[in-house]
Amino acid sequence: MAMGTFPFQWPMDPVASAGLDGSFLPSLVPPPALAAGSDDSVSYYGAPQMHAASLPELAAPFPSRDAAAAAELAMRRAEEEVAGIRLVHLLMSCAGAIEAGDHALASAQLADANASLAALSTASGIGRVAVHFTDALSRRLFLSPTTTSAPPGTDAFLYHHFYEACPYLKFAHFTANQAILEAFHGCDAVHVVDFSLMQGLQWPALIQALALRPGGPPFLRITGIGPPSPPGRDDLRDVGLHLADLARSARVRFSFRGVAAYTLDEVQPWMLQVAPGEAVAVNSVLQLHRLLADPAPIDAVLDCVASLQPKIFTVVEQEADHNKPGFLDRFTEALFYYSAVFDSLDASGTGSPMAEAYLQREICDIVCNDGAARAERHEPLSRWRDRLGRAGLSAVPLGPSALRQARMLVGLSSGEGHSVEEADGCLTLGWHGRPLFSASAWQAFPAVDGEDNPHNSNTSNVSSSGGDGGDSNNSSSSNGKTQTQSSGVVGAGNMFL
Amino acid sequence: MMQFTHAAVTAPPLHPNGAHGLGLGLFLDVGAPRARPWPAGGFASTPPPLPTSSKISLGNLNSAGCMEQLLVHCANAIEANDATLTQQILWVLNNIAPADGDSNQRLTAAFLCALVTRASRTGACKAVTAAVAAAVESAALHVHRFTAVDLASFVDLTPWHRFGYMAANAAILDAVEGFPVVHVVDLSTTHCMQIPTLIDMLASRAEGPPILRLTVADVASCSSAPPPVLDMSYEELGAKLVNFARSRNVSMDFRVVPTSPADAFSSLVDQLRVQQLVLDGTEALVFNCHMLMHTVPDETAGSVSLAQSVSLRTMLLKSLRALEPALVVVAEEDADFTAGDVVGRLRAAFNFMWIPYDAVDTFLPKGSEQRRWYEAEVGWKVENVLAQEGVDRVERQEDRTRWGQRMRGAGFRPVAFGEEAAGEVRTMLNEHAAGWGMKREDDDLMLTWKGHNVVFASAWAPS
Repeated sequence: MAMGTFPFQWPMDPVASAGLDGSFLPSLVPPPALAAGSDDSVSYYGAPQMHAASLPELAAPFPSRDAAAAAELAMRRAEEEVAGIRLVHLLMSCAGAIEAGDHALASAQLADANASLAALSTASGIGRVAVHFTDALSRRLFLSPTTTSAPPGTDAFLYHHFYEACPYLKFAHFTANQAILEAFHGCDAVHVVDFSLMQGLQWPALIQALALRPGGPPFLRITGIGPPSPPGRDDLRDVGLHLADLARSARVRFSFRGVAAYTLDEVQPWMLQVAPGEAVAVNSVLQLHRLLADPAPIDAVLDCVASLQPKIFTVVEQEADHNKPGFLDRFTEALFYYSAVFDSLDASGTGSPMAEAYLQREICDIVCNDGAARAERHEPLSRWRDRLGRAGLSAVPLGPSALRQARMLVGLSSGEGHSVEEADGCLTLGWHGRPLFSASAWQAFPAVDGEDNPHNSNTSNVSSSGGDGGDSNNSSSSNGKTQTQSSGVVGAGNMFL
Repeated sequence: MMQFTHAAVTAPPLHPNGAHGLGLGLFLDVGAPRARPWPAGGFASTPPPLPTSSKISLGNLNSAGCMEQLLVHCANAIEANDATLTQQILWVLNNIAPADGDSNQRLTAAFLCALVTRASRTGACKAVTAAVAAAVESAALHVHRFTAVDLASFVDLTPWHRFGYMAANAAILDAVEGFPVVHVVDLSTTHCMQIPTLIDMLASRAEGPPILRLTVADVASCSSAPPPVLDMSYEELGAKLVNFARSRNVSMDFRVVPTSPADAFSSLVDQLRVQQLVLDGTEALVFNCHMLMHTVPDETAGSVSLAQSVSLRTMLLKSLRALEPALVVVAEEDADFTAGDVVGRLRAAFNFMWIPYDAVDTFLPKGSEQRRWYEAEVGWKVENVLAQEGVDRVERQEDRTRWGQRMRGAGFRPVAFGEEAAGEVRTMLNEHAAGWGMKREDDDLMLTWKGHNVVFASAWAPS
């Protein structure tokens, strides 16, 4: 594989660069020229005192002491670069040995890698990300696979720090919200299904935007899906109450429902209680890839989504292929991907160890886990397009205003280096040209067999036709308050147990 | 194990968990009616209809109040370096205030741009990237470079400047009666658009026209010269004015002095001091100050003269007084943009700048080029007030009362405007939309829009 492209960036050293260019010379405002001749009673009086107030300070000659310091620094950096390249070689050799089943060789390579690590700064650059991969390889080689039991709430804690420290989750939220807001235009009853509620960080802004939209807010329902809480707690409910509180102060009629499930394929459409006439948005931020482990419930879940006939289905995923069957391939891909992510964390300057810990869990999962245990099965957008297309979903372009907003908002909260690009109606957020996250929006193909799409009007009944799986239709209810198995769902009879 | 939870909207309030952006102060109580004297969308003769459908939220009627609150929240978030909250609010604002919406929305969009510009220069929000600059077009990009002809018709579109011109010209004519030589020093932002009318009035003086000297302050080369921008050299402009004067049998000479508000126009003042040494009492000196004096740093700008510990603004007025003018005319916007904190300035600016956005519907059609120029200039002002600091922030307006105190403090006494002058102004206002009005405040005249103070004109003589 190509070793020519070395994705790691070195932190800029101000000492070395000072004085090497003349850009600190202050620009001199030229004094206005005195007009020649005043026979037309028009005079132009120059005021040289004002403009020549500050003579430019010429740069002092570059002292040799600084030159020596700069040279030493450059040499150190070269050494580190060599050590870094060597370390990457070693890590990949180790991974190759693991794939070949040669435990002894892998251990030896790992020992060398650890030694190389000692020579590198692990505070930044290649060292910072390599330490996590070395650690992960170590676990894979020497630890028995156990599910790490972190204290409850750790997930949410780390997630929140990752959210704050870099722009990726924020980008996901406001891009998805933009698509949802636009899709809900003109709808009086709307229902958002969030595949992973967490602390509900995505929703306050949407609630506020809906509150102030022309024509007034709709009746908003949010269904938040998340893992079951430990006994004595109800995390979903807590978040729901908070969102309800916010909605009340924003004067938006609101209702929340929590659905606790360990995995998305446990969620059945009837649990979502989609009401006839309401516009549905399904929101998946970094959730779909978890469904790719055999026997891959992804298609069933996508069918379920399609059966809800959502007005919009927003999907944000990591833009990488960490689902390759070969271990070495997967390892290499992840090494380069997470180098870019850590690089960008570096550059944002705030240095969040918790955000790093969040990423480290992903790295560990990719490197150490296999089969059903491995959840972080990231796949690139091109493959998601195929899958979503097969499920009967068609792409909804995100639009130029989404791109413009994304660029502005990302640009504001992070330094140079991040960029938002648009391709085929999808947005990707990347670091120095390397795409890292992609956002896209989808909708179901219109219903076939001449059935009315219940979301086109407020009071339509759910029509029945031979295409249904034989479940009973609650044809006259126009709100979702019934507790029986109501079909707000067309053609999804085969999903019912 | 399945669990279902349900939270209805009547749940008891939970203490917010303090996470960034999660509701701490983000949400507005949009139901409480605010004292907004003006409905969105222009000067309607009937009040807006009460909401009859449950679809319309009360929040909509007070949308301007909501937008102001959101902008305030945003400004606070920027000052607090809270990038997350800033982003969230900006996203909401972007969606509810499109740049091509109604007056309130366009007003809010301009403030949004200014805040984005501010955010990109400070704190957690890093240096302006090309993407940010491209995504939010700075108002400064659209400021138009006018030809003299275009500028003349542009300033006549609205009484904003005409009001001050008329009042000033009337007062000047009165003050220079009997003087064979009149020296007008023009400290204004509109590049002598007032002068042709003044020349006409002087030409038809009962006692015959005086010799007119016009000295113009040229601040165009300063870093933050306020718009409008004239696309013509002052030499050429001066030549045109001199020719025009000649055609009216007024002998005129024209001088331009490059000068800067940052040092209280010291180069101009120095020139004048030299000239005053050779006077023989036949010359009346008049200072015509329109919208430019507020660019001279006041006490809040932090800059003081080296000689004394007073602001440059105070120094300027003392210098003018020392030149023993026959008259000083001051026309300025009746607003206070000198608050040290950006939120204070934001509130002040929001509660003043709604006026041009509200009024523009009456005289410029949507989508017209001139409207873009007009709103670009307003946007420039908003951006200057909110996004700039230090020397670059030149829009440091003070209200009529404060200027009055300053003038009195510098040794001037007010000169009231005559009934004839007031009458002429009223007649002029009738040429414009019905919302414009005028009233007297003490010895000054005040231009109003829908009853709100806009621009005041005051005249002063040495006391």
